[in-house]
Amino acid sequence: MVEGEETNFPLNARDCLYLDWSHNNGHLCRPLQDDHEITIEELEMRYDTSIKKGLTSSFASQVLERDGPNALRPPKGTPEYVKFARQLAGGLQCLMWVAASICFIAFGIELARGNLASFDNLYLAITLISVVVVTGCFGYYQEFKSTNIIASFKNLVPQQALVIRDGQKNQINAIDLVVGDLVEIKGGDRVPADIRVIFAQGCKVDNSSLTGESEPQSKTPECTHENPLETRNIAFFSTTCLEGVANGIVINTGDRTIIGRIASLASGVGNEKTPIAIEIEHFVDIIASLAIAFGFTFFVVAMFIGYEFLEAMIFFMAIVVAYVPEGLLATVTVCLSLTAKRLARKNCVVKNLEAVETLGSTSVICSDKTGTLTQNRMTVAHLWFDNHVHAADTTEDQSGQSFDQSSETWRALARIAGLCNRAVFRPDQEGLPRLVVGDASETALLKFTELTIGNIMVYRDRFNKVVEVPFNSTNKFQLSVHELEDPMDLRYLLVMKGAPERILERCSTILIKGQELPLDEHLKESFLTAQMDLGGLGERVLGFCYVYLNEKEFPRGYKFDSDEMNFTTSDLCFAGLISMIDPPRATVPDAVMKCRTAGIRVVMVTGDHPITARAIAANVGIISEGSETVEDIAIRKRIPVEQVNKSDARACVINGGQLKDMSSEDLDEALRSHPEMVFARTSPQQKLIIVESCQRLGSIVAVTGDGVNDSPALKKADIGIAMGIAGSDAAKNAADMILLDDNFASIVTGVEQGRLIFDNLKKSIAYTLTKNIPELTPYLIYITVSVPLPLGCITILFIELATDIVISLAYEKAESDIMNLKPRNPRRDRLVNEALAAYSYFQIGAIQSFAGFTDYFTAMAQEGWYPLMCVGLRAHWENVHLQDMQDSYGQEWTFGQRLYQQYTCYTVFFVSIEICQISDVLIRKTRRLSVFQQGNKVLVSAIVFQLLLGNLLCYCPGMPNIFNFMPIRVQWWFVPVPYGILIFVYDEIRKLGVRRNPGSNTFVIVDNHPPPLPLVFLVAGCDLKHKEKVSAFFHESLFCFSRYFTSTPH
Amino acid sequence: MSANKEADGGWKTFVWNSEKREFLGRTGSSWFKILLFYLIFYGCLAGIFIGTIQALLLTLSSYTPTYQDRVAPPGLSHTPRSEKSEIAFNMNDKTTYEKYTKSMTSFLEKYDKDVQLDAGKFEDCPGKRKDLETDKTMRRACRFSRSLLGVCSGDADPTFGFKEGKPCLIVKLNRIVNYIPRVSLPSPTYPGGPPPGATCPGLQRPNLIPLHCTNKREGEEGLVGDIKYYGFDGGFPLQYYPYYGKLVHPQYLQPLVAIHFTNLTMKTDVRIECRVYGDNIDTSEKDRYQGRFDVKITISL
Repeated sequence: MVEGEETNFPLNARDCLYLDWSHNNGHLCRPLQDDHEITIEELEMRYDTSIKKGLTSSFASQVLERDGPNALRPPKGTPEYVKFARQLAGGLQCLMWVAASICFIAFGIELARGNLASFDNLYLAITLISVVVVTGCFGYYQEFKSTNIIASFKNLVPQQALVIRDGQKNQINAIDLVVGDLVEIKGGDRVPADIRVIFAQGCKVDNSSLTGESEPQSKTPECTHENPLETRNIAFFSTTCLEGVANGIVINTGDRTIIGRIASLASGVGNEKTPIAIEIEHFVDIIASLAIAFGFTFFVVAMFIGYEFLEAMIFFMAIVVAYVPEGLLATVTVCLSLTAKRLARKNCVVKNLEAVETLGSTSVICSDKTGTLTQNRMTVAHLWFDNHVHAADTTEDQSGQSFDQSSETWRALARIAGLCNRAVFRPDQEGLPRLVVGDASETALLKFTELTIGNIMVYRDRFNKVVEVPFNSTNKFQLSVHELEDPMDLRYLLVMKGAPERILERCSTILIKGQELPLDEHLKESFLTAQMDLGGLGERVLGFCYVYLNEKEFPRGYKFDSDEMNFTTSDLCFAGLISMIDPPRATVPDAVMKCRTAGIRVVMVTGDHPITARAIAANVGIISEGSETVEDIAIRKRIPVEQVNKSDARACVINGGQLKDMSSEDLDEALRSHPEMVFARTSPQQKLIIVESCQRLGSIVAVTGDGVNDSPALKKADIGIAMGIAGSDAAKNAADMILLDDNFASIVTGVEQGRLIFDNLKKSIAYTLTKNIPELTPYLIYITVSVPLPLGCITILFIELATDIVISLAYEKAESDIMNLKPRNPRRDRLVNEALAAYSYFQIGAIQSFAGFTDYFTAMAQEGWYPLMCVGLRAHWENVHLQDMQDSYGQEWTFGQRLYQQYTCYTVFFVSIEICQISDVLIRKTRRLSVFQQGNKVLVSAIVFQLLLGNLLCYCPGMPNIFNFMPIRVQWWFVPVPYGILIFVYDEIRKLGVRRNPGSNTFVIVDNHPPPLPLVFLVAGCDLKHKEKVSAFFHESLFCFSRYFTSTPH
Repeated sequence: MSANKEADGGWKTFVWNSEKREFLGRTGSSWFKILLFYLIFYGCLAGIFIGTIQALLLTLSSYTPTYQDRVAPPGLSHTPRSEKSEIAFNMNDKTTYEKYTKSMTSFLEKYDKDVQLDAGKFEDCPGKRKDLETDKTMRRACRFSRSLLGVCSGDADPTFGFKEGKPCLIVKLNRIVNYIPRVSLPSPTYPGGPPPGATCPGLQRPNLIPLHCTNKREGEEGLVGDIKYYGFDGGFPLQYYPYYGKLVHPQYLQPLVAIHFTNLTMKTDVRIECRVYGDNIDTSEKDRYQGRFDVKITISL
């Protein structure tokens, strides 16, 4: 059972021709040419080549000109200017463009009327445009940078190929290969193109990057199958030759190779929109429609009150500017790219910024087994000798416990494992891990013996190998004959390993504690038990035996013939069993556990054997302890499988064959009814089906993959995760994220970061939204009550841009419970929900507006304009020709003096919003914990920076005439402080409510899990909960309001 | 905010869900409660706001504003007001200058001798500057009769010279509570002062803030012609200051200066700049009416 096993199973991966590509039916399955079926002579004719001399150089260059270079064309990228233009044409940006054009029109009309005095509209238009352009550039730069990260992954070292042209062997760049070229490949090479093999010697190719099969495929010159993908005489581009040598004629190059076709197929699978993109779109839609609705309402109101059309248009524009959170998109980008950077340090490279958040909302991870959950190296896990099972150390760093090595039997067993082994360390290697040439189980044995008995190369030299019989699928064993290290001992040693039952057949004795005992029934039984046990653990079991050949029968110089096997191969002495497995990574069980508590389902999808898959799944916790499959229950209850109630089984292992026969409804049902799923023996194509099924069930699916054939599934997934080490370029191209260390645990880190970013974005947006109200109300009051304008458009832009982004930099650590919550439901848990908007707008925003107006009226009153006098003042105030307007004290003001007073008002309003926003940011930074429980140094510096910026704007000379900021009196900074404290206290009371009433949603504003339908106002928080306690309605109402004063409606 | 309800049966159901008796996603009692909550919430906020404003008002003096840094130094304004700094009329067409003369007439009504008779409210002020007094008693206003403005008083010529193409402008210094302008003495030629040889009667008087008008653009001296100043020798006499504010000084009359352009060039845009000179009077690049003004007079025939 060493290497023959894979052929026993249908290899779905190869049915690429009959794939179930749900999207592009059968593109790939266009029949290939019959290059593999025709004779060599015909092939030579077809490509004008010779299997001896290859092409002529001149002909080759002609063909190169005709066919183009032998390289995969990178997927067609969007042109750079389109990318940039896209950044400038989002929903909010369009609104800003409209606002800017209104400004231009207003300016133009005023200019035409000969009023040169007012350049404000022009400035505003220019500022608006620069805001759009600057944020656009910012976004573009971020995108550009992440593209560069990907570009850096591309291998910069050109691949070489050994080609025979004009009868000469040449090393040329693989991209210069053409069809008809005669190439030579050897172990370790990457196959440079699709090749018809014409000569091969022990050539094995790893097709995993193409088909996902992990077992090496041997390549021979014979055509073994009419399907070019099945036949053994074609080696495919980008696969790796593991061992042996082969010669072949290139039959396909570049995009015409199989892999090229798959790569182009992957680009056909539509890219799903990321959840965060949907969220932001949803948010922008709401904001834009509200802005336009508000603007239009007040446009109508203004016209009705009797303003000029142009003025009303300017009001419209101003309301749009005030209401639209201009800095938001930049905030989002900053948040995402900061997290992406943080993730990159933790070995997750994010290609698409938005994918960071997607990872956070992931509810299902379809994980590969090999390499992701496991270490991707066969390791000796158990030994059975002396009638006992011994556990070997399978940790990555050999930190685990080892077994007792004192037994004689162990020494014999180790000797067989070391000698009957063709794997060798590659020479000239320094450092660890050392590379080994040989197949996986021999490698495992080599490393194991090296660790336990020392330098195996030297050891082998002491036992001169006389003959060896390599493994083949009929024998199912491998043996070698050695001279003994003691020159006086002339016996030969025969060592043999292979499928345990085959080995046992040939044994008559067994070594127990160094004693050779006859193999009786009792021992045979315990052997079988051990073999079953180890096999049940999903381990690959090998039996080992040996015999000293009789020196009389086989004297020195005896001619051993490996084909005839003219020597003893029976009545051997059984030494023991060694079982191997690709062990799980140390960090994985923890990570799976974390996923579980985080409400994420981990589904294993592997091409491996169901038993192995199941064993590993159980090992890492994908199948939890005590979970049973339908089959387990059937066995336990001793009833047929059909009678088992399927819902009793938590776990389920489905193999590729079963999956093929299942309808999509069956699969959905299976996924729904069994929380713990393992898919074994699946092809990468079936991965796509599994992903689609999960998505039908409403999950956000993360998929890991490394092979080329995984790329459609990676694309289809909400977030595709490619492996950085084992992954093929095609997989990396299709993925949204790349795991540099191929480690599952890194995904969990990513999930945590993704959730954090959703929380943080939510907090940032809550913060951003709040100040739109104090920005908007000045206009509403200005239009309706006709006070002098309290806040100008340019000032608003400064609040939006200068201060917001700074604050968003303040990264918040996770509130401890982040990984104990269920993943958010993308349909329900919006980035912005009603509760959040209502709380921001109508409560905190309202308080901020009052703060602004208090400061405004203070500044006006202290300069001589009493609050009541301000009402209805607008017409005179803005009359350019009125140079002696009287204030409350009878003083006369020129227009210029009034304008500077107005700028002073802008500035105090600005300062008020700043001060209140500091309070706001403090309350927003936690959604449950008190601020005092969650400190943040970055936040403090951000606040300090914000204050410094405010001071700079206020007191820097020249500001009044450029940006309409005036140096204001120190005490006006403090007028809004009580309101800031009010906001703070109000919210701390709300949070106290959250902590006191953890079940109640009444107080939870910024939460991942608002109630399903935010319909009920107090019902959840008050009515139901306290109905029984409170008898009188009056009493109840009072109670509710006392609580509700600190809460929000849903 | 509840725009995502389509999934639950469309907008109609959202607006009125008869099954659950919900309007816009809330039941009547829910709406009642939410509105009541916000009523109380905003009530409290408004209470806090009004309280704060009341507290603010308590800190304000009714007599003098807390700060005057925006209103001082004073502006210089003139009657009739100009539209975009332009006064244009046809001396032969009464309708073209009627609005100017009307505004001047109404402006000067307060300066009629007849309305200044009440000795309880008005007093004659000697030609001496006064110091600021801090007591909060009612103040009498200094009399200023329009007759002081001579030909520009409108007594003899109700068209203020517009008819003859020799228009008058009446100029006042904007009033500021407790503000006393200071004369710049003894230096006759301080920086930015009137050019040497300027014919300005108000210059070099100890109790007079001089007003001086001249051509705005260089080389247009000839266009402006002769300017005559009326009032207290073409300046603002200091005995009229300070102004004590609306509350205690309701009848206050600012001293006026009338400028009479006796020889303006016709059918041409004539740009004139007038300026007052004092230690605590300043001009600003941005505010063209602070301590000065300019006007373009165009007389057509």
